[in-house]
Amino acid sequence: MGRIPLAWFNLVNERTRLLVAVAGVAFAVLLIFMNLGFLGALTTTASTIYSQIDAEVFLSSPQSLEISSTRVFPRERLYQAAGVEGVDRVMPFYSEYLLWRNPETGNSRAMFVYGINPRDPVFLMPELQEPTAREILRRPNTVLIDSLSRPEFGPQTTGLETEAGQRQVVIGGQYTLGGGFAADGTLIMGDQNFRRFFAPRPLNQINLGLIKLAPGANPDRVADTLRSQLPQDVQVFTKAEIIANDERFWLQTTSIGFIFGLGVVVSFVVGTVIVYQILYTDIRDHLPEYATLKAMGYRNYYLFQVVLQEALLLAGLGYIPGLLTALLLYDLTVNATAGSLPVSMNWGRMIFVMILTFAMCSLSGLISVRRATSADPADVFS
Amino acid sequence: MENNVGMITPSGGATTLAPAQDQSLQPPNPDLAVQIQHLDYFFGSGDLRKQALFDINLALPRGQIVIMTGPSGSGKTTLVSLIGALRTVRQGSLRVLGQELVGLGERDLVTVRRNIGFIFQGHNLFESLTARQNVEMSVELTGQFNTKRAQAEAMLGKLGLADRVGYKPNALSGGQKQRVAIARALVNHPQLVLADEPTAALDKQSGRDVVTLLQTLAREEGCTVLMVTHDNRILDVADRIINLVDGRLASDTSPDGYLQANAAVTC
Ligand SMILES: Nc1ncnc2c1ncn2[C@@H]1O[C@H](COP(=O)(O)OP(=O)(O)O)[C@@H](O)[C@H]1O
Ligand SMILES: [Mg+2]
Repeated sequence: MGRIPLAWFNLVNERTRLLVAVAGVAFAVLLIFMNLGFLGALTTTASTIYSQIDAEVFLSSPQSLEISSTRVFPRERLYQAAGVEGVDRVMPFYSEYLLWRNPETGNSRAMFVYGINPRDPVFLMPELQEPTAREILRRPNTVLIDSLSRPEFGPQTTGLETEAGQRQVVIGGQYTLGGGFAADGTLIMGDQNFRRFFAPRPLNQINLGLIKLAPGANPDRVADTLRSQLPQDVQVFTKAEIIANDERFWLQTTSIGFIFGLGVVVSFVVGTVIVYQILYTDIRDHLPEYATLKAMGYRNYYLFQVVLQEALLLAGLGYIPGLLTALLLYDLTVNATAGSLPVSMNWGRMIFVMILTFAMCSLSGLISVRRATSADPADVFS
Repeated sequence: MENNVGMITPSGGATTLAPAQDQSLQPPNPDLAVQIQHLDYFFGSGDLRKQALFDINLALPRGQIVIMTGPSGSGKTTLVSLIGALRTVRQGSLRVLGQELVGLGERDLVTVRRNIGFIFQGHNLFESLTARQNVEMSVELTGQFNTKRAQAEAMLGKLGLADRVGYKPNALSGGQKQRVAIARALVNHPQLVLADEPTAALDKQSGRDVVTLLQTLAREEGCTVLMVTHDNRILDVADRIINLVDGRLASDTSPDGYLQANAAVTC
């Protein structure tokens, strides 16, 4: 038979307090999960667009920040790159915001528009692989609409006509991409339409240059060659580099990244304070018992263990409901945002938050344990 | 030291001055469970320093049941907590079960405590544990995990609580709780039991029962008992009665002698 699990008995003896403590820990765990979930969605969406573009090397203006805030640069640079060894194909890429009118409510809202040459196999989405897609993009004033665009943009049925940027526009079909934090909705149009909608913008000024490599070519090496050959008015990225660039933009230079990062820290502190509060009250109420233990001949080390065990038990008991609620809210978020805010759980985050939870509770345990070990055994007689 | 000497009033009777103390110590006597010589004790420090015990000299032979009485605030609890190794002592000599406590650090004091059974006025049982588990907490200190349950139940049985082992303190009466506390104190067969007003929170009858049980078990185990009490009705369980007044030992008699002396005062 082992030791009497005094920590456990102390915890369950006060049901209400245990419930409050577990709820407190679970709440902190939930907050941490939500903030990390949003942070994760932020980085996921930052890479979504690139993972759907069939190119290995990207050119952009040095003044561009991320996909939705780019500056234009001469298309000439792209043609220069075409001559470099290992380059199979170069494709211009245009982007711009466009006010889209919801035909049902009459309200306009900004869509993010990608413009491509219909001949170029820019996108990897299955809908864009259909031969009809190319034909649709050639039709005047016809666009493809992102089915993950917010419902506020209105119906997305093929053939629907509405107004965008003072022009009549027809929905020619749909694709599934998601605009993430940068855009509430996206459109794809052919370059000739792009020129019409955004006149007088010329097509020889592009937002991104997409470079598809020949099979077997090394993207890093080609990117290096391009860097040495192209003038300073363009930046060269591999796919991994441009994704990292956009992630860095969102995480480090926007308030969004800061808010969620701060959210994690605040949740951790709140959790620590809650657990400390609970443990402290618990220790205060059991102080005569701790003094008695010392009078009987137990050492501080034992009291230390009891308090730490209580803290770890709280961590374990609070983590599970926190995780389950977080999974529920993740689902809810994905549904509420029609899939455009892809918060999703992964093992790494589950383990990371579990470690955070145990750290949180241990920290509170360590702060409050001094109260328990300060119990004076001589007090038992008074 | 100056302060110490200054606080001993001439009427105190304890006239041995500090420098001479060490020379006047008796050698350790193995027949004594407790051997106290020239023990002073102070609370606080600096201006707030207050002497609670003055030159206590006391020897408790093994197996003796001793009752300590005295007015409130006379230092009884302080003396018991010193003998119980619950406070560090710096002056005089205090031998408990052969071990000198003066000068011992916290670590060694804890070891001494494991050989002593404590019974408190507030029973100080763990509300979250059953009677048996409370007693087992004591046995666990000895590392006897395999037999702890049997030992706890046997001791509770001796105290008439065989049918209450699974009850939590909340479900027990005051007398039953105090008997659980006695079981906890005695289960490791300590050679010394210290009790501070164990009957104060009990009614007359259960107080009497508890003390009688304690006496019987102590005799069985041959252990020394030092019990503080104000309760005149239970003095007869003692072999000896000592009286503490204002931090000094005022009398040391047999129960009969004590009763006669007190009767003389009240008449
Ligand atoms: N922790 C303490 N700090 C300061 N003074 C104390 C403390 N405990 C007891 N005293 C003082 O020591 C004296 C003896 O107290 P105590 O031993 O509790 O007496 P008794 O148990 O006989 O009632 C009293 O004057 C009391 O005020
Ligand atoms: Mg007292």
